[in-house]
Order: sequence, then structure tokens, then C-alpha cells
Amino acid sequence: MQALAGCRRFTPDMSTSGPSLEDFVNEVKLAVARSRSGFDLVQIPMPSALKTSGGSPLNRFGMAIDLDACNGCGKCILACMQENNVPLSSKERRASGQFMHWIEMRGGAPSMCFHCGNAPCEKVCPTGAASHTPDGLSTMMYKRCTGSRFCGANCPVGARKFNYDDAVKEGLSRRFNDQVPLRSKGVMEKCSLCLQRLQDSKHSHMAMLPGMEWRGAGVQTACAVACPKHAIIFGNWLDPTSPLVKAAKRRNIYAPAEVADLDPSVVYLRGNR
Amino acid sequence: MYRIPIYIGVVLLLLGATAFGVSLWEGPAAWHTDMRTLWGTPIALFVLWIGLAHAGTLISAIFLALGFPLDRRTSMIAELSTLCSLVVAAMFPLLHLGVIENFYMVIPFLDARGNFANIRSPLVWDFCSIAVYAVVSTIFFVTHLLSEKREPLKKMVRPMSWLLFPLVLWVHTVVSLDFAVTFVREWQGAFFPLYFISGAIYSGLALVIILLMAEHCRVRLLEKLMLALSWVMAAFWLWEFMLKGTFSFEVVFLGAVVPQLLWLRPIRDNSFVIMLVAVSVILSLGLERYILVTPSEYNVGNAFGWVDLGLVVFSLGLFVTLFFVLRVKLRKPLEGDDVVMGELSVQDEEKANPVVGELSNNFHLLRLPLLVGFLVTLLYVLWAVSVVPDPMISLSVANIAPLCLPLLVLVATVTLCAKSFWQVLAPKAKYVLVVLMGVAGMLVGMFWAGGSSAAAPGAVSVQELATPKPAEKIWEARCASCHGRDGLFNEKFVREFYPVPQKLSLERLDSLGMDSLVSVILNGRINMNAYGDRLTEEEARGLVFYMRLLAGEGK
Repeated sequence: MQALAGCRRFTPDMSTSGPSLEDFVNEVKLAVARSRSGFDLVQIPMPSALKTSGGSPLNRFGMAIDLDACNGCGKCILACMQENNVPLSSKERRASGQFMHWIEMRGGAPSMCFHCGNAPCEKVCPTGAASHTPDGLSTMMYKRCTGSRFCGANCPVGARKFNYDDAVKEGLSRRFNDQVPLRSKGVMEKCSLCLQRLQDSKHSHMAMLPGMEWRGAGVQTACAVACPKHAIIFGNWLDPTSPLVKAAKRRNIYAPAEVADLDPSVVYLRGNR
Repeated sequence: MYRIPIYIGVVLLLLGATAFGVSLWEGPAAWHTDMRTLWGTPIALFVLWIGLAHAGTLISAIFLALGFPLDRRTSMIAELSTLCSLVVAAMFPLLHLGVIENFYMVIPFLDARGNFANIRSPLVWDFCSIAVYAVVSTIFFVTHLLSEKREPLKKMVRPMSWLLFPLVLWVHTVVSLDFAVTFVREWQGAFFPLYFISGAIYSGLALVIILLMAEHCRVRLLEKLMLALSWVMAAFWLWEFMLKGTFSFEVVFLGAVVPQLLWLRPIRDNSFVIMLVAVSVILSLGLERYILVTPSEYNVGNAFGWVDLGLVVFSLGLFVTLFFVLRVKLRKPLEGDDVVMGELSVQDEEKANPVVGELSNNFHLLRLPLLVGFLVTLLYVLWAVSVVPDPMISLSVANIAPLCLPLLVLVATVTLCAKSFWQVLAPKAKYVLVVLMGVAGMLVGMFWAGGSSAAAPGAVSVQELATPKPAEKIWEARCASCHGRDGLFNEKFVREFYPVPQKLSLERLDSLGMDSLVSVILNGRINMNAYGDRLTEEEARGLVFYMRLLAGEGK
């Protein structure tokens, strides 16, 4: 079971209430079967430091998805659901192909929020709940979200998911991971690049090695850990020793045409393997 | 007199109220939405009704400003329809929100914790423009209503109409920007502001024509204008078709083809047919808005459900009830001594120089209010650019520009009419006004302060801190405001942060260990401030012991 979950801190007894793991596995299978059409990919240069104000010159976290390695098994989706307590969808929404999954299969490869450096969703959020960290993550403050859904309307790839239903009350969510809050009804959510893992690493780094630069070495997202083909690589674009930079060097880097001009942090790799 | 419309309105209101209630209860899942169609019916109704709200001010203010002769009663009817439509329109953005009680976070006003609305978002511009529009058009309506018998107010009506004129156009431009700035293909287009303004005026004219019909009155000028606008809209629909290839037969037929019936004399003379044409225009514009806000991807079977229909019925019922009840209540001041309605014959002196002569008079009255408005706006812009709390947000003056005109108009209007209203008010009313302003000031202060984030009753004084410090005192002075007196974090204070402070459970404290906790206290972490400059290592160690004590008690 643990191997299937591929999740670092997964302990089955953490929560006994809520749907069973079987339900999550089945929903992921359904989602993989109902894969949406793929993107038009455009070649882009390797992501560099954020061009917007306030960006960190040391860290910019991102991911690369190796299209030559990925076989579209969907294990990343399940791992993501367990790491981030992503709820199941109601029956009606499932029937029309709508899921809360932060990772979706598009054209046989996973796609999630691309964490655009120049993110259009953050610009239109009226309350500032969608904001950018200096480390290049596009984050959500759930408590500050008023549910105007403007960010969702303005996301070129539709990576944002809205909590139409009260998943906790309807028994659709299960708290696999104690470190991530369950989202209440009426707020937006999306891929956070496993923010809590980065925070953990940063906390312990600053406690153990105060005064030394933290570059996020050793951190992995749940999907990257779960991928049996090692097709998802997480790392720091500004750290030459990061596995991400090593993997992306001499490869062709692609991004969906919709977000190619928006300086995405999550990219696709192809060719020259 | 208006018993039947009121009865119809109440029935529609009650029928629609069920849908409204369900929508409030269930949230956005109640009406037609999915993971792609995130907005849906409420926003369509909002855009429609805010558009309908424009005609009143257009007819009253713009015609007045430009010197078109319309009688007072016709203008008052149009203005009343503006106010009622605004009330209806204001309901729907609130209903649309996922977390309705958080709506205040959209107000661009800094609170004590440094939270500031994202002023780059069109939604913030939208909220402010419409709030200002509601306030200013209410003041305009009241001034116009009271002006007949009170000389000081009479002078104010025309200068105020000059202030309202740009605001009307501005408000709908901002509404169109809600759509035009996004990445949704169907919503893009530089012509959107003009397109939305024309659509708003077009549908608003149709509404006023229907309402005047209820007064047994017809104004040819308005009908001609409606016909002209049908061609403008046809041009925009053609433009959109050429640009994006989207086209809806029903919208174009109802909105551009049906109004052409007005060319035929026998039809033009029949009031009933004119009313049908006006209804068809509103229907067309409503349909157009609905199609616009529901880009489809998932084939959801029950696309336009009973809740959507109920919301439409609710908006109609609310408007009809509100309008006709107010119409009956305000009969005396509305109708005044006028018997004649419609266009007035132009008097010779006005005809000679309708705009320029008045303009200079108005300008004399407007000079000071405009200056005050300009200065206040300037101060606001400077303040807003300087307070942005997040270094990741790069704010330019262009982001605040859409707020400038509404703010300027608001301040100018208040400055303009404050003195004359003060003269007109009864002494008792003056006291009430002063008290109300005091209450408003208190509310602003409360909003700024937010909920209580005080550390604890009996907070530690500075002197106590100067003496040798037991860990408990330090905890209450330095730590308790976030982490709580009892070590459980203060939810009220930290609700704006994510992630919230770590729960200081015994397991967690043990797993981290003394040295690393001391290091965190002295050097800080993400949201945890560094206290190395205020605490010694000894004291930090004491705090860790105290934390363990608290965690043990909590068990």
C-alpha cells in the first residue's frame, strides 16, 4: 500500500474517517481514462530568476516532466491527493469529467499549475489570496480567499479547482497528511509544489544551520517521489547542483503555448536524452 | 394606481426568493457552474442589471448636462429605475462569492495587520466604482427630488449631472474590464468597453421606455435613440463575429432585427408593440450576457436549471416591487406640479447656446469641489502606492488609475452638495447627520482595527520587562499575541497567515529538541520573527521550558 501511495509520510492510521484508499485509487483510474486533450508545446529557454519585483536571487523552485520517460500511469495523481488531502469529487461532477485533482492527465502526461513567474491569476485576485512567494511558488492563502473565482477564470490552462462542495461534510475528503489543512467550501485550490515540504526543509535548515543559505536541497514533491519512471524532477532552477538543472541541461525545454510567455516554473522535457 | 404591478412583483419576488435562498445556502454549486464555467448566472444578471441602471442617469444626467429638454417627471422615473436596478445588481456579486462573509476583503483600505486588497484586480475597481456610483446617483436623485421647492439645491442639479456623466461611462468600462483583461478567448477584445457601454445604454433605454409606458407616456426621443443603438449593437456583434467567429442567432434577432419594426408607421403608433420591442431588446441583452459568462467545456446536462431561472425571476420581482412601491410612496415629490410628460419644447434662450452658457456657470460651482476631489485622489494614490505590504506585488500608478475617477467624483459630489444640504436640513436632522457620521467614523476605525489581537488581559508593562524576566512574563509579552497565552495559537490574529504557527505539542517539541528550538527563537523562521536582538540565549532556553510546561498542561 505504501509503495502504491509513494508518499513520504503516509501512515494508514492517521485518519480512519472518510473514504477508503480504494475510492481514491478508483477515482484516479477514472481520471486517467478520461484524460483531456494535450497542449500545443512551445520551446522555451531554461527558467531563470523571477523577473518580477521581490524575487529571490537564490531560489526558484520548479519541476520538469520528462515526456520521454512518462508513461501516463497516474501514480503522481494519487500521491498528490494523499500528500495534499485532495478530496474526491461528487458523483455528478465525476460523471462529467470534473475532478479536484491538482494533477491532471493532458494528452497522456501530467499537468499541474505551471507556477508562472508572471502569473495572471494572482493579478486578478481581489483580496491577494493568490500570491507569489519570493521562491517562485504561486501560493494560495485559503483564509483570505473570498471565492470570487476570478483567478480560475483567468488561468490559461484551467489548473485551479474550486471547492463547490463541502467535501468534509459530504464525506469526500480524508486527511492523509496532518500538515496540510482541509480546504473549506467556497475557496480555490491548486498545486502548491508541496509547499509544506519546502517549509519543513527551510525550518530545519534555519534551526540547524543558522546563517547559511537555504537552497532547498533534498526536497522532493510527492508526485516526483511517486513516479516509477523518475519522469518528474523537482528542484531549484537557480542552483546548478540541483537535480532539476542537471536533468534539464542539454534537453529541449517545452511549455504549453498558453503559458509560454508567462515565465512558467514547471516545464516539459523532450529529446536528447 | 400601481396595485397590479406591485402584486405581480411580489409574486415573482416570492417565487424567485426560493432560488435565491437555495443559492445562498448551497453556494455556487446551486446554479449552472463547473470547473470551466466558474461564473454563471449571477454575474450575467449583475452585468445586465448594472447596464439597466445606466439609462436613468444617462437620460437624466447626460441629457441635462448636454441641454436636451426632458421634463422633470420623466427624468425622475428614469433615475428611480437606476436606483432600483442598482439595488438588484448589487445582490448578485455578493451571491456569486464562495465565502460571502469575506466580501469586505475586497475594499482597498489597509487594516491594522497590513492586509490590503489586491488593487491590481479589476474586481476591486469594480467594487469601488459601483459603490461610488450608487452613492452619487442616490445623492443626485435626492437632490433632484428635493430641488423643486428648495432654491439652494436647484443650482446643484446641473453641476452634479456633469460629475455623473463621466462616472456612468467609467463604471461600465470597468465592468467590461472584468472580462476584457482575462485570458478567456471569448472575453477578449479592445472594443469591450464601448461594446458594454452601448449594450448597457441600449437595454437601459428599453427599460425606461417600458416604465414610461406604465405612466401612459411615450418619449419619441428615447425610441429614436433605441433604434440608433440597435445599429450600434449590430455593428459590435458583427465585429465580434469577424474577430472570434462567435454568433448567436437569438441575440441578434431579438436585439438587432426586431427593433427595426420601428421603421413601420403602423407599428410605431402602437404602444403595445413598442413595449414588446423593448422587452425583446432586454431579453436579447440578457441572453448575450448569459452566453458570455458561460463558456462551456463539460457537457453538463442541466445547463440552465431551475435555480438559474429562479434567480432571473427574483431579480425581476425585486426590481418591479421596489420600483413601484417607491413610485407610490414618492408620488408627491416625483410628480410635483407637472402634468405634462415627455420632451419639452425648447425655450429660446436655452436654444441660443444650450451648452456653453450653462457650462461656465456650472464650472464656477464645480471649481472648488473638483480641486478638493483632485487633491484627495492624489493623496490616496500616493498612499496606496506606498503601503503595498507584499514586496512581491509591483504596483504601478496604472493599477490605481481606474479608482481615481470614482474617488474624484465622490469627493467632488460630497463637497459640492454638503453646504446646500446643510442649509436645507432641519435642525433635528442636523443632529442625526452628525451622529450618523460619527458612527460611520467608528465603523471605519473598527474595520481598520479588525478583530481583537490583544495578547492577554493584564498585559505586561515595560517596567516589568526591565527587571529580571521570568519565562512566563516574556511569553505573555512577546509570544502570546500569536501563539496564545496557553500555547494554543491565537486564531484571530493568525487567520491571515498560512501556514499557521506550528502547534506546540509535546511530541513536536521533543522531536525538535532544545537547541534547535532556541535557535528558532533567536534566529526566526518563515513567519516566526527573530528575537535574538531582544532575548538572551538564557531567556530563550527558559521559554522552551515554559513551552513544554504549557504543552504538558494542554494534554
